[in-house]
Amino acid sequence: MDTGKIAASLSEIERRTLKALDKGKGKSPRDISEEAKLPIDSARRALQWLKEKSLIDLSERKEKSLKLMPAGKSSLRKGLPEKMFVEALAELNGKALMGAVRKKSQLNTPEYHAAMGLAKRNAWISIQKTDKGIELELTGLEKDLLEGKYSLEKALRATEGKESVDEKDKGELLKRGLAEETMNIERTALLNANGETILKQLESVGKRTYNVQGEVPRIFIGKKQPYIQFLNQLRKKLISLGFKEMQERLIVQEFYNFDVLFQPQNHPARSWTDTYQLKQPTFGRLPDKKIVAKVKAAHENGGGTGSRGWEYKWDEKIASRLMPCAHGTTADARQLVEGVDVPGKYFVINRCYRPDVLDATHLVEFNQLDGFVVGEDMNFRHLLGILKEIAIEVGGAEEVKFFPDYYPFTEPSVQLSAKHPQLGWVELAGAGIFRPEMIEPLGIKGRAIAWGLGIDRLAAFKLGISDIRYLFAQDLGWLRDSKMVKVD
Amino acid sequence: MPNVNVSLKDIGKLVGKKLSVKEFKEAVLYAKGEVDAIEGDMITVDMKDTNRPDLLSAEGLAREIRSRITRDRGITKYKIRKGNIELLVDKNVANIRPYIAAAIVKNVKVTEDFLIQIIQLQEKVCLTFGRKRKEAAIGLYDWTKLKGPMHYRAYKPREKKFIPLEYKVEMDLEEILEDHPTGREYKHLLEGKNKYPIFEDNNGVVASMPPIINSQITGKVSENTKEVLVEVTGHNQERVNTALNVMVSALAERGFDIYSVKVRYPNRTVITPDFTPKKVSVNLDSIRSFSGMDLSNKQIVELLQKARYDAKISGKKVVCQYPSYRQDILHPVDVIEDVLISYGYGNIEPTSIESATIGSERIETKQVDLARDICVGLGLQEILTYTMTSKKKQTETIDLDPEKEKFVEIENPMSENYAIFRKRLFPELLEFLSKNKHNSYPQKIFEVGKTLELDAKSETGVNEKNTLCIILIGKGAEFNTIKSVLDAITSNKGETYSLKETQLPFLEKGKQAELALGKRKGFIGEVSKSTLNKFGLEQKTVVLELEI
Repeated sequence: MDTGKIAASLSEIERRTLKALDKGKGKSPRDISEEAKLPIDSARRALQWLKEKSLIDLSERKEKSLKLMPAGKSSLRKGLPEKMFVEALAELNGKALMGAVRKKSQLNTPEYHAAMGLAKRNAWISIQKTDKGIELELTGLEKDLLEGKYSLEKALRATEGKESVDEKDKGELLKRGLAEETMNIERTALLNANGETILKQLESVGKRTYNVQGEVPRIFIGKKQPYIQFLNQLRKKLISLGFKEMQERLIVQEFYNFDVLFQPQNHPARSWTDTYQLKQPTFGRLPDKKIVAKVKAAHENGGGTGSRGWEYKWDEKIASRLMPCAHGTTADARQLVEGVDVPGKYFVINRCYRPDVLDATHLVEFNQLDGFVVGEDMNFRHLLGILKEIAIEVGGAEEVKFFPDYYPFTEPSVQLSAKHPQLGWVELAGAGIFRPEMIEPLGIKGRAIAWGLGIDRLAAFKLGISDIRYLFAQDLGWLRDSKMVKVD
Repeated sequence: MPNVNVSLKDIGKLVGKKLSVKEFKEAVLYAKGEVDAIEGDMITVDMKDTNRPDLLSAEGLAREIRSRITRDRGITKYKIRKGNIELLVDKNVANIRPYIAAAIVKNVKVTEDFLIQIIQLQEKVCLTFGRKRKEAAIGLYDWTKLKGPMHYRAYKPREKKFIPLEYKVEMDLEEILEDHPTGREYKHLLEGKNKYPIFEDNNGVVASMPPIINSQITGKVSENTKEVLVEVTGHNQERVNTALNVMVSALAERGFDIYSVKVRYPNRTVITPDFTPKKVSVNLDSIRSFSGMDLSNKQIVELLQKARYDAKISGKKVVCQYPSYRQDILHPVDVIEDVLISYGYGNIEPTSIESATIGSERIETKQVDLARDICVGLGLQEILTYTMTSKKKQTETIDLDPEKEKFVEIENPMSENYAIFRKRLFPELLEFLSKNKHNSYPQKIFEVGKTLELDAKSETGVNEKNTLCIILIGKGAEFNTIKSVLDAITSNKGETYSLKETQLPFLEKGKQAELALGKRKGFIGEVSKSTLNKFGLEQKTVVLELEI
């Protein structure tokens, strides 16, 4: 037995209960409640706990006991009906007509008849028929009754005082409904050898000393979800780099997801298999007609931007179709349509949706961190500069490399690979300078550098998880155990 | 993005220089390709630029790599021999699929590598550049089995019969569209037409039914093929020509002989293939300003040649000619990117942006974070669930009628489990709890997330709200407790609310209330036995849901 551990685990009421117990003499919960100054329920609970810890022995004794019923209690107060009857007759000088006795005694009819029967059986009265009616007369044998020596009356008092009552009187009390018999379970507790040891230990170390090595109950604190915390840290980082947050939208018009981004409407990437479509609602509204007309012209013939455009017929209906946002750049498109400050820096963390099967590397929903920097003299070296900054600040990278890439909305396009101290070389972001066919129709003066990061893999790494599905952990135990994300 | 499979040995032969895997990996990056998988000699490359059909085979990749690692620069010159074959276009295809281009290739030496590449190129070009055959459909034929002149004309659905590819019996055009798997797949491209295009020889031997399917007898290239006829149809002359040039220049890379075809339309004649380079002029200063580098004129010309342009300085501009198999130069920036790729992204010094801007977060983000802070102060564990979910979970499981509840719904869901967007958060939290019955109670959780509702007034037809949901389960989960939680949240945000008795089916009768904070709505209450049962939950549960 690890006495230190057990002693440390005892609660205050258990300690007090233990101290109130004795090795030789069994004590009931009531005794303990009085000695330890604890509510009786607490004492009962503490006894149960101490028994589970094998520090005490509990024994149970079942005992029948008599308890007064309401009629018994009332008889104890006012007197038994037979006594009231005899007293009434005595007050009428020991001899009176039946009616007068009844009136004097104030007994109701059934009580009166029962009382008279008893008085007769006990030979306290004699009954004669006279001309005036039935006359009752005391016999002299009633003396013991009037002096309080009536055995049933004594039995009532004994029952009330929880003293013993002889079997004949008990039978009478039960028969007359003056008392009932109940079953009592009397628990008594005895300190055992283990308990004694613990008690000694408690006494020797004093009340305030605990086993500091001991185990204590666990507290689950209020805590934020680790992945959301990670996203918030990214957000703070970008704000500190001078970026303004854009609005996140889950449902978007194809106009923003594709058309503003100069993705031709007949492009295979706009197909059913690569993006989700909506059953309802199906179509949304497009912005200002002038902007729509300019986007249309850019697609069809370059719209005076010096481009040939995609040379096909652009359809406004397709552009107004709704879909769940498929990439974070959609927020860039909307911001550029709604207007931007030049120079300006913008970012968004956007939930995105693509029809992938859920597995250890693909999520049903994922987050992208997208942003752009707009300025009058932005060039390709600035693009590489901002990417390097993001790789180091956001991705925790040591080294970066840039490779040619393709996006319909950027030219030149770049892929950013970053060397992470633990992960090695990873593809971190796609980026580029927004095409003139995209920027100029929106009336933006200058060039805009845009980039997008898939942040889920980075988050999984930061949180030390190998299965990306744990970003949306459905396991409360894991969430309770998870560390708070370190700020770095 | 298309995947292209190539043999490293074959690439080595075509480049004229043996390449290691590492060298190939590096070289292909300049063509916006990324090595996805290596299996022995076969390499799978993910080609990112969907506007460069010429790079979708070993021949085109080799041509691109050659200019990067050898002195072979500028536009590759291929010899076109004058053929005497004519292709007659009937006026009745004008409203169906008006353009056709063709070439004949002789002296063909079929190898396994070549067969794989040419079929792969045909497929990938049709898919990407051809927009799934709509804009360009390509056919390859055994020229020795056909007799010129060739004809391109339309027939009524039952008027013509031939044996389609992979079949043994003749079918008429209607039958092909209805019964042949490929016919069914591309049927929509001829929808609403009362005649269908046919490409056939002078004896009426069918070569193909563009853009649907080739003939089993003539429309196949095999190990024994000596002469190949290449044909492209579509809706735009330039696009059709470009697709043909991509195919033919790949065959020319193999050293085969190319012969031209005279395509006679009712009122004009076009000779294909036409390898005349295309032209674009780019302002020299714009190259410098875009790149952020002070490149000399000479440097610019050299970089362009490395990217297979022929370039010449003319005043403030550089006049560029580029190969006829490219149709991706929409704007001078496309040329500038090629200059930068030639220079090498790795050789360009990044520079930082000087402009000082002030960062800020959105008010919604602040509100969400405040709610989260209060919940953490209340000792609750935050959780995160998906915004897409199942209709069943959002209706039947919480005793709501699935017929009456409207949601933002996905047309093409991957699974019924993710077929709608959630309107309420708490079913998702109850499901979370149902997965955590083995963890110790009480459990106290919350989520702040988007809930979506149909809203005709919104420009997207959807109202996206940020909603807070709190659920307590186990000891102490009483109505009054959740009301205390509500008090704590509102008083700490300095808000006041009003409660109204209500009858929500998923909450216990008499232990629920509707909640209003100005325009924001919500509810609190004890979750009903019936709903708890459906989630397999046994302990008392209270919930608060509120827009924030």
